[in-house]
Amino acid sequence: MTTGLNYQNLDGLIACPHCDLLHELEALQPGQRATCSRCHSTLITTKSETMDRTLALALASAVLMAGALCFPFLGMSKAGLERKASIVDVILAFSEGWYVLLGLCVLLFVVVLPMVRAALLVYTIWPLRQGRPALPHAKLAFAWAEALAPWAMTEIFIIGTAVALIKIGGLATISFGTSFWLFCVLVLVIGFQNASVCRWTIWSTIRKVTA
Amino acid sequence: MISAREAGLVGCHRCGTVHQPQDHDCRMCGKTLKSRKPNSLQKTWAWLITGLVFYIPANVFPLLSNRVLGSEDGHTIIEGIILFFKKGDFLVASVIMAASLLIPIGKFLIVGFLVLSIHYRWNLSAHARLVLYELVEFIGRWSMIDVFVVALLASLIRLGAIISILPGPGSVCFALSVVFTMISAQSIDAKLIWDDTSKEPKHE
Ligand SMILES: [Zn+2]
Ligand SMILES: [Zn+2]
Repeated sequence: MTTGLNYQNLDGLIACPHCDLLHELEALQPGQRATCSRCHSTLITTKSETMDRTLALALASAVLMAGALCFPFLGMSKAGLERKASIVDVILAFSEGWYVLLGLCVLLFVVVLPMVRAALLVYTIWPLRQGRPALPHAKLAFAWAEALAPWAMTEIFIIGTAVALIKIGGLATISFGTSFWLFCVLVLVIGFQNASVCRWTIWSTIRKVTA
Repeated sequence: MISAREAGLVGCHRCGTVHQPQDHDCRMCGKTLKSRKPNSLQKTWAWLITGLVFYIPANVFPLLSNRVLGSEDGHTIIEGIILFFKKGDFLVASVIMAASLLIPIGKFLIVGFLVLSIHYRWNLSAHARLVLYELVEFIGRWSMIDVFVVALLASLIRLGAIISILPGPGSVCFALSVVFTMISAQSIDAKLIWDDTSKEPKHE
């Protein structure tokens, strides 16, 4: 072969999961990032603290979400009357009829799936971080955490809130509750969490500790 | 530049580990190995058409309905946009127009075009296809914005007891349409984008 790739040792190769191009694995310097030379998707990041970071951010997002559910999200006042609504109130506002579906959409995409992802990441990474063998079904857990990523829509919900507020603007005076700001921080934390995961590092660590 | 398939090997879709063609499961992540996702394009079509079918009632039925003194008058997506343009709320009108009209319709067209261009090996650069694919992957989720807006509006107004606004059937159809088109975009095997261009004989 003229391509210079060594097909005898398949563990020395990586095929870009997005475009199938073969690359030779080489040792990266800390802080370096290997990207696919054809589609430019990230193959490997060598942030040595990738697991620490992901773990810390996943735990932080769980704490923030717990807080965001407890405190009031928005307050509305009109003619001296003030109402405060939490996210739970928003979800439970439609508890009858087919409107339930809409509340379920918010519950699922905004609250449940981001937390399920955080839990799966912690479940997978925590033992690896401690140098212990992976917990049962860790591969499946991490695969699900990755697959659910597009379905966690906290950031879309916050933009949706802004639009809803502009729409409602004329009808009542709106004040932001603690939960709104916690949600904004949560959006950032989840963003950093997703950026800090190095799939290759986690897959190879799972393999190393289970072998 | 050689792909795993051209080298007679199979690259895992999930983690990228390279395997012999006879291997069944990925030794790294456990995923069932396939050189290319089976029936990827047919599945994409099926989900896309389902999404399109739900997009029609999403536009015909009202997204929101005001219940004022027993008489119900709602507005559909397009009526809502016109309402805001008339009020002079160009920002809201543009956000809603982008999220509920341009992104969904653009997505149907782009996914359809991508699948056709892969299937009929249209003479289109792989990079152009990649840009379209990434665009669809990235923006598709953002259509959900309007579903959240409707849910928030209706529940806040209900909780505030100002006036009664109820979500209309259009909103649920719209949510389903977004979900189905997201699944459709995820069914595309991005590796197919590169296959035909690399079919040409290699000169070193
Ligand atoms: Zn690539
Ligand atoms: Zn794999």
